[in-house]
Amino acid sequence: MKFRCERDVLVEALASATRAVTTRGGTLPVLSGVKAALAGDRLLLTGTDLDLTIQVVVTVAGGTDGAAVLPARLAADIVRALDPGAVYVEVHETEARIASGRSHFSVRLLPTEDFPRVADTPADEVTLDAAALVDALRQVVPAASHDDARPILTGVLMAAEGDGLRLVATDSYRLAVRDLPGASVLREGQSVLVPSRALGELARLLGGADKGGAGTVSLRLGERDATFEVGAFAGGAAAGGDAGDPGAVGAMATRLTTRLIEGQFPNYRQLVPEHHPNRLTVGREPLLDALRRVKLLAREAIPVRLQLRPGTVQLSAVTQDVGQAEEELDAKYEGAEMGISFNPEYLVDGVEAVAGDEVTLETLDGLKPAVVRAVGRDDYLYLLMPIRVS
Amino acid sequence: MDAFYAAVEVRADPSLAGRAVIVGGSGDRGVVASCSYEARAYGIHSAMPSTRARRLCPEAVFLPGRYHLYQECSRQLHEVLQRFTPLVEAISLDEAFLDVGGARRLLGTGVEIAWTIRRRIHEELGLGSSVGVATSKLVAKLASKAAKPKASLGGTVPGPGVTVVEPGTELAFLHHLPVGALWGVGPATRQRLDRFGVATVGDLAAVPVESLVAAVGHALGRHLHDLAWARDPRAVEPERVAKSVGHEETYRRDHHDHEPLRREVVRLADAVANRLREAGRAGTTVVLKVRFADFRTISRSRTLPAPLVAGPALAKVALALLEGVDPSPGVRLLGVSVSNLVERPTVQLTLDDADADAEDVARAVEKVRRRFGATALGPASLLGPSGLERKRRGDQQWGPTSPPSSTPRR
Repeated sequence: MKFRCERDVLVEALASATRAVTTRGGTLPVLSGVKAALAGDRLLLTGTDLDLTIQVVVTVAGGTDGAAVLPARLAADIVRALDPGAVYVEVHETEARIASGRSHFSVRLLPTEDFPRVADTPADEVTLDAAALVDALRQVVPAASHDDARPILTGVLMAAEGDGLRLVATDSYRLAVRDLPGASVLREGQSVLVPSRALGELARLLGGADKGGAGTVSLRLGERDATFEVGAFAGGAAAGGDAGDPGAVGAMATRLTTRLIEGQFPNYRQLVPEHHPNRLTVGREPLLDALRRVKLLAREAIPVRLQLRPGTVQLSAVTQDVGQAEEELDAKYEGAEMGISFNPEYLVDGVEAVAGDEVTLETLDGLKPAVVRAVGRDDYLYLLMPIRVS
Repeated sequence: MDAFYAAVEVRADPSLAGRAVIVGGSGDRGVVASCSYEARAYGIHSAMPSTRARRLCPEAVFLPGRYHLYQECSRQLHEVLQRFTPLVEAISLDEAFLDVGGARRLLGTGVEIAWTIRRRIHEELGLGSSVGVATSKLVAKLASKAAKPKASLGGTVPGPGVTVVEPGTELAFLHHLPVGALWGVGPATRQRLDRFGVATVGDLAAVPVESLVAAVGHALGRHLHDLAWARDPRAVEPERVAKSVGHEETYRRDHHDHEPLRREVVRLADAVANRLREAGRAGTTVVLKVRFADFRTISRSRTLPAPLVAGPALAKVALALLEGVDPSPGVRLLGVSVSNLVERPTVQLTLDDADADAEDVARAVEKVRRRFGATALGPASLLGPSGLERKRRGDQQWGPTSPPSSTPRR
């Protein structure tokens, strides 16, 4: 294998593929590598930890076809450290030579035959609006659990809801629900559980792709896997390149394949109270600013207390032997005067996630779940359990 | 206290007086928790495997141990001690440090107070005790040992009861003691010290601190050096706050499957939650300890984003940890504990609490248990042929008792 590529292009491609590479020294040493496969001018980079696979296609100036597995972290570090300009990569029997200008590296390869085969993706493909999906992922993914002890909660539920798609995540302290109307991806009643880590990576990829103007994401669902593609992945990128032009840089395309989580997602519908007697309406930015100030005195599991009264909400936090903070905000409040305490981080996450200038906080009492929504939008809700203060 | 558990048993059943009495696990895996001086004459000591103790003295009376009785007795003991000074630091059920520095004007010298304490304990509890009087915790503890009765085949030789190490004579007292008498010198350390020819505390004091550090590590080396020179500045701390709350249990037979272990985890978690609640605290880190048949011991822990206190929540975490353990080599001991304890002003509620408040349930369960007894209500998985099999504090402290068919005669 032999090719030439602009440093910046190769850096970005390697960085993307390497994000799926496991950092923990697993049982399979080859998983610490990134596989590079060249066919014509089409270079395919693959990184995987078996659960998550990220593949990047990039157009390079191809010399000789071939495939090799390079140590991922090292290769990425080397290419990033080179001076801007053309990078030459040449693979010999047991090593890859990476050169640029007067810098020369040779790196031992990992056994190509050990590298896992990436599962074939089913043909059925649906298209999603990238901007809307990124938006939804940013609202939902943070509410998923990171606790491997409850694997189901580390996933984001993607379910058919009406004529659209619904995303749901919970870590059992809070629950985020987002509807994407019109995005009919699943059959009626169908749902899948996608690891939140994969969706976090997808959001990151799309965030980057936004700049390039990638307007859509294609999604394919298999029995055990889900595949997301950004850009023209299959063959398209190679066709876009021009082998005759030494500096040719084709559009980059990325494919992310993730194993689905098996199991029954908790019945979240019953958790959302149908009716909340108390409703606070307050400016989103002023509330966030006040929360960020008051939470300085709410460290290490100390809650922020909200005292809700007609016309006002008072935020306070007390850390014993340290001090206290208090702030009052103008607000609209319908309901009985009450107090409720929250983990400030969780509340900030929820308020940040809603769109719009004003948010509502609906409550039942100090021990029951509260709901954060944007005023005038019903496509997102964030349900949050309070902290009981004894 | 002198042979505390055994002495309490003898007090409860005077016919045992003068006999070799052993309290501890009587099963194959039990250990001796305490034994009378008559038993010690046979070379039996605490922490010795019960099977060995039985071989040394087949006619000894084995008792399973009644932790609640000892606990009650301990409470009475501390009541007595509290009358002398509020500065009482309990280090176990039957051992405590007292700082009587401020009580001398009222109650007399340290020695006089020591004799009074001993007399009061005898009068009110009917039990023997030994007191060491010295200027530091280290020396006082060792002096109390020197005050204890001695076992011999010819009968128990009463000890002095009170041993005083006058200020200025600490080194003379300390230096002739075997080095193993010091805290922190276990078999491993003793072996390393042997290479320096260190047998007594005096020998240890003669070793340059640098050599000591090289032999046993920095912290322990310095610590031992200080102890050998009777430098122990630690004050008597009346309230030692527990750093963790836990229970563990050794099984009569190894478990090779998850199923029985799950049940045990629920049982242990239920008991731990109970103690947490009693202490008004909550914990953030749940630890599962597993000892395999070959004594290999592992612990798996999980730190939660918010402290928890309820039994079912605790059991859920511990059960998840258990799933990551392969029991097929045989599990002989399980332990569940909670650390990173916080006073319990706040509890982050979870969505599992949303419809039925788990806290309300826990409180109601406590009420029922207080009114109708500890086994009136509990996790359904603990239901056995003889009702609820709840874990109580002190059960199986010293290993399982032998199965009913081979219970020794009393």
